[in-house]
Amino acid sequence: MSAHPYEYYVDIVTKRYFDGVDNYNLEQILDCFHEDAVLTEVTSNTVHEGRDAGIRTMFEGLFGAHTRIWHGNFVHTADTAAESICSQFSVEVTPKDSEEVLRYENCNRFYLKDGKFTRVFVYMSGENLLK
Amino acid sequence: MQYQSTLGKDELVDLALNKYFAQVDAKNLDAVLDCFHDNAMITVQTAFTTHVGKEGIKRMFVDFMDSHKTIIHRDFTCTVDQNNGRIAASFTAELEDHDGGTVLLENTNFWRIRDDKFQEVYIYMSGANPLL
Repeated sequence: MSAHPYEYYVDIVTKRYFDGVDNYNLEQILDCFHEDAVLTEVTSNTVHEGRDAGIRTMFEGLFGAHTRIWHGNFVHTADTAAESICSQFSVEVTPKDSEEVLRYENCNRFYLKDGKFTRVFVYMSGENLLK
Repeated sequence: MQYQSTLGKDELVDLALNKYFAQVDAKNLDAVLDCFHDNAMITVQTAFTTHVGKEGIKRMFVDFMDSHKTIIHRDFTCTVDQNNGRIAASFTAELEDHDGGTVLLENTNFWRIRDDKFQEVYIYMSGANPLL
């Protein structure tokens, strides 16, 4: 059984991880991951390995390519015994040098160990932004 | 939408894996449809495809079962939110059509349960949508 209560899982996803993404706060994002974490974008089978290597590089690319990033409309399925939370949500991004708003309906599966992400799986409804 | 479910953790897993997926693989259409409320909805989110009502869901499964010789769902990892009547599962879907063509998908389903049946189902797929 996890030492963390239900709300911990919702908070790390929304108040720490996605808050960091939406506000371009890379250190806040990376603090949610274990050093050897792996993030997989399943719909394009893209794998980013390591908090300070692949995952950092992926977010630097995401931030460099967009002037606005927003995640909302969350519905969470959280399981404290399994130390996992699966979240459905909407995403809006504005690509650099564009005024177009792109909208996605995505989900993430987060698996935690000792309160931090060890494996994250991302499904995107459109083109993969996490290259 | 938030729904009230009457099912415990083991019952939610049993509904998703045994009463639903095992019956899909066995092409037992009536048992599959019995998992859904009459006004339920299935959305393949990665393809923006929605099937509304038991009749719409039935039509989708008839086509899906007819167009595949074998359907196998396996290697489930479940995340169960008992207090909110929600369950998510990742799994491998192994599909073979009548011409011998095979497709392997790494999917994730989200089920929202009202009382003891599915009210909303969301599917995220790693490849092309076979649930047309």
